Amino acid sequence: MTDDFRERARSWLAANAPRRSSSEDDAESAGSAERVRTGIAEQQEFQARLYDAGFVGITWPKEYGGQGLTNAEQIAFSAEAREYELPVGAFVIGIGMPGPTILECGNEQQKKRYLPKMLRGEEIWCQLFSEPGAGSDVASLQASAVRDGDTWVLNGQKVWTSGAQYSDFGAVLARTDPAQPKHKGISMFIVDMHAPGVTVRPLRVATGHAPFNEVFFDNVRLAPDALIGEENRGWDAAVVMLRNERIAIGTMTQPRSSPLAYDSLRKLADRLGRAGDQGVRRELASLYAREQSVHLLGQLIREDAMAGRFPGPRGSVIKLAGAELGRYATQVAADVLGPQVAAADSDDVRAVQISIVAVPGGAIAGGTNEIQRNIIGERMLGLAKDPGVDRNTPFNQLRVGTQRSAKESS
Amino acid sequence: MTLILTQDEESLRDSVRRFVADRSPLTKLRDLIGSGQPYDADVWKQLSAQLGLAGLIVDEEHGGAAAGLSALSVALYELGAGLVASPLLASTLAAAALGSLGDQAASGALLPGLASGELIGTVAWQPAVTVAATASTAAGGCTLAGQLSPVLNGAQAHFLLVPANGPDGLGLYQVAGDAHGLTSEPLTAVDHARSLATVRLDGTPAVRLTGDAAAALAHVADVANLALAAEQCGAMAACIAMTSEYAKIRVAFGQPIGAFQAVKHKLADMQTGWELAYAALRAAARSGDETPGQFSAAASVARVMVSEPYFEAAADTIQLHGGIGFTWEHDAHLYYKNALSGKVLFGGPQDQLDRLAATLGM
Repeated sequence: MTDDFRERARSWLAANAPRRSSSEDDAESAGSAERVRTGIAEQQEFQARLYDAGFVGITWPKEYGGQGLTNAEQIAFSAEAREYELPVGAFVIGIGMPGPTILECGNEQQKKRYLPKMLRGEEIWCQLFSEPGAGSDVASLQASAVRDGDTWVLNGQKVWTSGAQYSDFGAVLARTDPAQPKHKGISMFIVDMHAPGVTVRPLRVATGHAPFNEVFFDNVRLAPDALIGEENRGWDAAVVMLRNERIAIGTMTQPRSSPLAYDSLRKLADRLGRAGDQGVRRELASLYAREQSVHLLGQLIREDAMAGRFPGPRGSVIKLAGAELGRYATQVAADVLGPQVAAADSDDVRAVQISIVAVPGGAIAGGTNEIQRNIIGERMLGLAKDPGVDRNTPFNQLRVGTQRSAKESS
Repeated sequence: MTLILTQDEESLRDSVRRFVADRSPLTKLRDLIGSGQPYDADVWKQLSAQLGLAGLIVDEEHGGAAAGLSALSVALYELGAGLVASPLLASTLAAAALGSLGDQAASGALLPGLASGELIGTVAWQPAVTVAATASTAAGGCTLAGQLSPVLNGAQAHFLLVPANGPDGLGLYQVAGDAHGLTSEPLTAVDHARSLATVRLDGTPAVRLTGDAAAALAHVADVANLALAAEQCGAMAACIAMTSEYAKIRVAFGQPIGAFQAVKHKLADMQTGWELAYAALRAAARSGDETPGQFSAAASVARVMVSEPYFEAAADTIQLHGGIGFTWEHDAHLYYKNALSGKVLFGGPQDQLDRLAATLGM
């Protein structure tokens, strides 16, 4: 059964999908808004064909547009697709995060209305959680949704929103009861990104690119069916979504052509005549060992999943390991390049430079290393949770973000 | 190449784990430290003969199980977790050398005894150390001279495989443990679970084995890397389990210490290091059986990914336990000493990186 499916996927991909190019610049491809935006129409065209061929929503139920198959088929497809660069970047977030959350927490009407169009790429989704004052501690968010008749009015600012500029809908977290402790007064809503009062601005990051956005909500009126799950139980839905995010990030395969990958730095060291230096040789060997191990751990987690042992918090292990690998690679790159890392004289050195500048973002996006360590400690090793002095205090009595307390500002 | 364990490997793991818990708990190592014995003869008999662990990589023709390197790594992982003292590693490396050489007479004479555990063998060699013995041939036959140190189970081995330079270049020689002119002097090993000795040869009669000595030694180095990585990965998991349990029950400043990020994050890093090491170990184990051409690099990777992280984890095990972890009564120092010993034997961290760099063509 899986073999037939795999065979079908293999031949469809061979006939329809572009292969990974070897000169791909990871720093650019990881999130260049320009590149994604210009290709939206082509991406939607490809996604529709991929969907019609039966390779989108493989494990999702048929009544909501999925294929109703198992993890085995999903893993088989992912394995076949690894050699290709599918032009489907605009849909990864929706299908990876809000989609599964609506599937798990949404009502029947929402699932029927939104999921099939999401899968076929007819409607693009983003997720809106982080705020300038609420990152790791996302439950301290301040965006608010106030009931007005049978709808809500949304106000506030979100940040780090990938794809907001071309999204049709977003899954947004907002506070609906500030008199409750912070986790208990949050709700999750579907917001129409084209509604009046929604402003999207590109957010330029350290590399100079703008892969993310800031989103402002100014008296945005939500639809009557916008609430995902129950009112004030949005945190439960957020936990579902964040778990899906870590698995999505953690199991992404890093292309071997990344400028900070062993293969690339080894070539650079050979070209610059640095491979004879014992210190550089040892660092490159160490980078090879670490890179292989992260890759092998991904394989082990996938094999375990196929054998019925689900990754759960191991998504945090691979996310943390990937971020630490990136950090180590910057050290190796600097030693391979020497002074050239400060002043590039060629395109390949420039690509390394940009990648080094992009590395710190990998240790923050999708949950900082520190948050991953909390998850590993608490959910894998069973250590006690931090008691959290703010857990039982009504939100409107808390100090959050970089807000100054009343006493300090008076 | 499938990394996860097969059903056979899972049942081998379970039976070795039960054996360690029932027959060789950590109190056994303390008994040995007290008595000065390098290992418990009954435990060795049971694990070699009854569990069949000494014959895992010996072929069936010579009385072994031919179970392969992956099965060996599964068994060593459990023995390493329990710090079981035995000459298994020494004998396994001797079997690996003989298997690689293919000297029919020596294999016929030595492998069945190794597989049953009745013979203890060792390879008197450390990678990255210059061969110290020389061979000379006289009317009466071949003799060896030189000093070898440290030799794993050198004071207990029934036979030693000694690399030596002779008139025909590098050779691997078989020397009886009780041969004329051989003296062995036990060293003060930091890890009591790993017995080491200095062996002196002076006009000691030896037999030169046929086969490619350099290739056999390279294979020994690879198997040593896999074997040590397996033991250390198991021991590292034991450190993490021990420390996590303590962090749940020890209370300070009004809460279990595991709630503090200074403790929690260190444990999370230990766990992440273990996950990476285990993945690398599984790949090396499978590679040894299925893709021999890539075994050397994979075994180096496994060793690189576990030796130093285990040493760090063992040090942090003491640190996170605080004062109690530094007492003689606590088991933490047993792991710390084991980690130190295992980190430097058969090629230390820098040697491993040099070896890996060479394998990668640098």
